[in-house]
Amino acid sequence: MKKYVEDLDFRGEEFVGEWTPWSPPDIRRKKCVLEAARVILNSVFTAPFAGGVPSIEAHIVYGQDELEALARKVEEIAHTQESWREALLYEAVMVRDSDVILFIGNIRCHETALDAGCGLCGGTLDCGYFYDQKTHRYGLVDITDRSSKRMINGPLCTARVGDLGYAVGSALWTAHTLMVDARPFASIGMAGQQLGYCRNSGMVVAVPLASKAKNPYVDVNVDYHLINMDKVLDNTRKIYNTARIIRGFDYRKWVPKPKKQEGEGE
Amino acid sequence: MGHLIGKQYQLDHLIEVAKNIVLAIHKAPQITGKTQVEAEIVWGEDLEPIIEVMGPLAKVMRYIMWDYETIKNCYDKGESPVIINIGAKVSKSNLNWNCGACGFDTCKEFNAYSKENAGGGQLGGPSCNWKILDWAIACDWACAAAWQYRVDNRIMGSVGFALTVLDYLPGMDVRLGLALGPPRDMVYYNREEMHKSMSYELDKQDMVNCVPTMFTAFPGGGTPMYKTKDDWWAPPEFMGIGYSPAVMEVMQQILFEEVPELVVKNAARVAARYKKQEK
Repeated sequence: MKKYVEDLDFRGEEFVGEWTPWSPPDIRRKKCVLEAARVILNSVFTAPFAGGVPSIEAHIVYGQDELEALARKVEEIAHTQESWREALLYEAVMVRDSDVILFIGNIRCHETALDAGCGLCGGTLDCGYFYDQKTHRYGLVDITDRSSKRMINGPLCTARVGDLGYAVGSALWTAHTLMVDARPFASIGMAGQQLGYCRNSGMVVAVPLASKAKNPYVDVNVDYHLINMDKVLDNTRKIYNTARIIRGFDYRKWVPKPKKQEGEGE
Repeated sequence: MGHLIGKQYQLDHLIEVAKNIVLAIHKAPQITGKTQVEAEIVWGEDLEPIIEVMGPLAKVMRYIMWDYETIKNCYDKGESPVIINIGAKVSKSNLNWNCGACGFDTCKEFNAYSKENAGGGQLGGPSCNWKILDWAIACDWACAAAWQYRVDNRIMGSVGFALTVLDYLPGMDVRLGLALGPPRDMVYYNREEMHKSMSYELDKQDMVNCVPTMFTAFPGGGTPMYKTKDDWWAPPEFMGIGYSPAVMEVMQQILFEEVPELVVKNAARVAARYKKQEK
């Protein structure tokens, strides 16, 4: 039997914690979420799809710079229209509070439709609604012009979008089973797509993942983009130093003490 | 003390499992948080209208035949599957995201189109794609919950087609059926119920029709022969493409004559169930 060196030296310790952010213990914790994300991908790819057709791709993204770039893209999209502004600004905070972001996209919904005449896209008994609005020859869609004035270059094959929903559903199911906090997001998906994640997909949904004492994706306060943990901590840094400065003393010679009350001993 | 044996208690328990699955459907996370999803459980005689409508459709659509024969054979043997019908309201967007996924610049334009063109497809439509995602997540949670209980299951567009024409779950825009059980291994995969219904010849012909490149001989001549028999060169056979009046005639007859007749026949029976619920 072959003996592996690492088997002979199977010992060690891993100190894991949530505080302080991006410290080695916190990064070890994030790695646990990364492992969960990889397990979750199994259920993404085995979700039930129409006709058993492979049509899903996924992208796992993590790291301080990567998440910051993503959050800024969500904020950029937030300011493109009023109906998105507040919700998306809140969701950008959630990106920064995530450990790992899982993107799931459908590579067929904009190009290789199901062609079953299901009617889900346009309400008819054929696929004309989809093809009439696409550049195509004999049903082969030309996607080489990737410019679009719309956030998503529709119409899409809605049956394929349904498949994407199954993949996202399975990701969420497994995340819940693994006790990892997760929620599906349109905003983060669109931002990720614009940054090039799941680059072959016509539609992308993001499932951010986190394992923290407080689920980052629920129970937010008003003006969450202005009042959140990062901002509260930074506000403390802003206030506390000044509070120290204005009452300085030489602690080696004298430290103010509480006034003694009557009846207290020497 | 007690003693349970036989099929009836298994069916009874399958119904209880279905109720648990419906909880998962309603617990499923949503992207929009604004999609109305509904579910109902049917079994036994209440499956009859669904099976009846799937019958003629099965003659023109192989994927419906597959499900129709499986469900019907189980039902006829006294092993009724339990079906969870899952519907959602997706034909109107109340999001105002104007994302373009539907093909329109704005949700307002989509809503105007949808109002004029609702419900003409096999499964409904037109649809807001974000709401379809919410609905699909709910359907997926139903499947996952069923697997968690180790119940053989399959989410079926064929049943959804029947539900749509029969107007099960009235008020919903799209519908699918999740067939559960009977409680044994491999009802909907490696289907034993189908063992006698497909001949070798029919199976092979399906492959020729659906995957013709598997049978294409040397294409260099521009008009390749097709290898559909052992001595495929004597005499050679060629593939033709063209409009088929025969296929379309059968399709028209089934979709616009046979199915509507069955819908009318079952309309009162289906509607009565929902009237009862309203009371």
